[in-house]
Amino acid sequence: MAAVISASGLSRHYGELKAVDQVSLEVEEGSLFGLLGPNGSGKTTMIRMLTGQVRPTSGSAHVLGIDVVANSVQVRQQIGIIPEQETPPSFLTAEEYLAFVGSIRKIPAVQEKADWWFDFLEFSDKRDVLCKDLSRGTRQKLMFAQAFLHRPVLALIDEPLINFDPVMQKTVKGYLKEYVRDGGTIFLSTHILEIAEEICSDVAIIHKGRLVHTGPVAGILGQQQHLADFFLEAVGKGSHA
Amino acid sequence: MRELFWAMMKEEWRLHATMFGSISFALFPVLIGAITFMGSLMLPLIGDIIPGQTLSFLVHAQFLLLGVMVGGFGLLGQEVMNRRFGQASLLAYSSRTLPLSDRTIFAVFVVKDTVYYVILWVLPVIAGITLAAPWSGLSLPFIGTLALTLTLSFLTGLAAVFLLSTLYARSMLLLAGVLAGGVLLSTLLLAATTFDPVLFFPPYALSRSFTLPLLLYSLTVIAVPFALAILFMTTEFPGREKHIPDRFSPLAGRLRRLHSGPMVAKDLLDLRRSGGLIGQTLFSFALPLALIWVTLVVLARVLPDARLLITFAGVAGIIGATIYTWVTEFDAIASYTFLPLGTRDLIRSKVTTFLLLQPLTLLAVLAGAIASGEYGSLLPAVVLALSVSVYAASVMVWLTGLWPAVMVYDVRVLAASMILIGPVLLGLIGLASISVLYAFGSALLLVPAYLLLRWSYRRWETWEKAFY
Repeated sequence: MAAVISASGLSRHYGELKAVDQVSLEVEEGSLFGLLGPNGSGKTTMIRMLTGQVRPTSGSAHVLGIDVVANSVQVRQQIGIIPEQETPPSFLTAEEYLAFVGSIRKIPAVQEKADWWFDFLEFSDKRDVLCKDLSRGTRQKLMFAQAFLHRPVLALIDEPLINFDPVMQKTVKGYLKEYVRDGGTIFLSTHILEIAEEICSDVAIIHKGRLVHTGPVAGILGQQQHLADFFLEAVGKGSHA
Repeated sequence: MRELFWAMMKEEWRLHATMFGSISFALFPVLIGAITFMGSLMLPLIGDIIPGQTLSFLVHAQFLLLGVMVGGFGLLGQEVMNRRFGQASLLAYSSRTLPLSDRTIFAVFVVKDTVYYVILWVLPVIAGITLAAPWSGLSLPFIGTLALTLTLSFLTGLAAVFLLSTLYARSMLLLAGVLAGGVLLSTLLLAATTFDPVLFFPPYALSRSFTLPLLLYSLTVIAVPFALAILFMTTEFPGREKHIPDRFSPLAGRLRRLHSGPMVAKDLLDLRRSGGLIGQTLFSFALPLALIWVTLVVLARVLPDARLLITFAGVAGIIGATIYTWVTEFDAIASYTFLPLGTRDLIRSKVTTFLLLQPLTLLAVLAGAIASGEYGSLLPAVVLALSVSVYAASVMVWLTGLWPAVMVYDVRVLAASMILIGPVLLGLIGLASISVLYAFGSALLLVPAYLLLRWSYRRWETWEKAFY
C-alpha cells in the first residue's frame, strides 16, 4: 500500500511552546488512521499542518504526493477537511452553503450530491434555514457533508462525531467504515478512545507534541484489554505510571 | 463590575495588540499626539486664513465624526451585535455563563468603549495641543475647556450612534421613524422659533460660551441617548427558523464571469442578510459624509476659492475606500481555510465586492452635486472620487490585507497610509482648484492601485496570521 500522508520531522513552535515536535508518520492508502492524544497534545496543529492551514516551523509533509507547504491549495483541492471549530457561514442556508462549496470545488451536479447528504444525514427539513439558526449538531452534519461532497480520496477530520447524538454517531461511523472499504483513506483526530477502538485500523498517540506510539489497533488490542488502558500508559497516566 | 470593566479593557487592548505587537499599538496614541503637536504649531499661520471660530467648529466636528465612526464601527447591524454578544468569544458574551444581565454587560461595554477610545484618541490630541501651547499662543484655561468640549463632542457622536444602532437592532421602521421625527422637529424649531442652530451641536456651543446650563445641556444630550441605548438594547434577535429559498445559486450564476463569482455572491448575501449593507451605509458612509459636507460648506465661506464639490469628491473617495472594511469585517476568514482557496483568492474576491459597491461613492458625489448646484464639475468629481477610492482601498489592502478594521491601529500602518494617501489627495484637490479638468488626472491613480493589489497578493499569501 502506498502512503497517502507522509510527514518527516514535522514541528510547529509558538515561541517557547512546542505544539508539535519532530513528528514523523506515514498513513497508508485505504486505512482509517486515528490520531489520539489528550487535550492540547498537538492533534489539531498536526491536522492544520497536514492541510496547509499552518506552516511547519521545520520538517516536511506530503499529502497524496503533493508538498503541503509549497502547494497547500492544491492539497485542499484533493482532500476533504472537517475542522475542529469552524462553522459554516452564518448568512447562507445549508443548501446555499453546499452550493457555495460545490462552486469553489467545481463539483458537477452538486445539487444531486447535496440532496443525497441531506437525506443521508436526515436534515432535509433544515436545508433552507440560515446556518446561524441551525443547532450545533445540524451544523456539524453540514460540515461533514461539505467535507465529503466531492468524494475525496482522503479526508482529514478533527473530532467529527463530538456534536452528534448516538444514532447519528452510528450512521456516521458506518459511513466512514464503508468509505474506507471503497478505497478511501481517513485521518481522524479524536480523544474519544471508544470511537477509535471501534473504527480505526491504525492509531498514533501524540502527547505534549511528540509522537509516543504508532501502529495497528489490532496489535494493541492483542496486548491489552482496551485501547484506553494502552493510551493511559502511553501518556504516563496509567496504573503503572 | 469593576473587574468586568478592566477585563474588557484588557480584552480590547489584547485584541489589537496581538495583531501587530504591543509596542506598535502603544505607539499609536504617540503618533496621534505628535501629529496634533505639529498641527498646533501651525495654528498662528492657519489663524490668518481661517477665523478661530470656524477652526474651532471644524475641530469639534472632527471629534463628533470620530465618535460616530468609533461607535458605528463597533455596533452595526444585527450581525455585529450577534458577534459582539452571541457568537464571538468576547466577555460581552458572558451573560450566558456569568450571573450578569445583558444590560449590565452592555452598560460596562459602553463605559469601556468610552474610556478606551478617549485614551486612544482624545487624550493624545489634547496632549499634542498642550505641548505646542508655548508656540501656538493658546492659553492653558482655553486648552482645558477644549479638552472638555472635544471629549464631549466625541461622546456625543458615540452616544448618538449607540442609540441609533440600538434602534436599528430593534426595528428598521423604528429607526426610520426616529430619524424622520428628528429631522421634522429640527426643521420646525428652525422655522418657527428663534432657536440658535449652534445648539444642535452642544459641545461646540459650550466651547463658544462656557455656561453651566450649556454644560448640563451637553451632558444631557450625551447621557439620554446612552441611557436609552442601554435601556432598549437587545441581544434577543428573532430565534425562529426562517425558511429562505436558494438565492445564492442564481446570484453566483449571474456573477459567473467574475473570477471570484461565488465568493462575491456570498459576500453580497452576507451584507444584505446581516443588515450590514444598510447599517454601514447609514452609519459609516452617509452620516460621516453628511458631517464632512457641513464642514466643507462652513470652510467654503472662509475659503471662497475652494471648489466645494471637487473637495467633497476627494474626501468621499476616502470614505468610499472604507467600504473595503465592511466587506472584510462581516466575514470570518477561518471559515475558508479548509477550502481550496488561498489568501490571494480571498483578497481578490473582497476587492471585487468592494468595486461592485462603489456606486455608493458615485451616489454620494451626485448628492453633493445636487446640494451644491455645481453640475459642471460633476464628471471630473466622479472620476476623482472613484479613483481616490480605488487607490486608497488598494493602499489599505497592501497595508492590512484582510484585516483593515483591526490593523488600522498599527502605528506603522497608520503612518504609511497617511503618507501614501494624504499628499496625493491634497495634491489632486489643489490641482483641481486651479482647473477642474486636472481632476481627470486622478484616473492615473489606477496604475499604482493595480500594482499595489498585485503586490498585496504576494505579500499576504505568506502571512501566517492570514488564517486566524
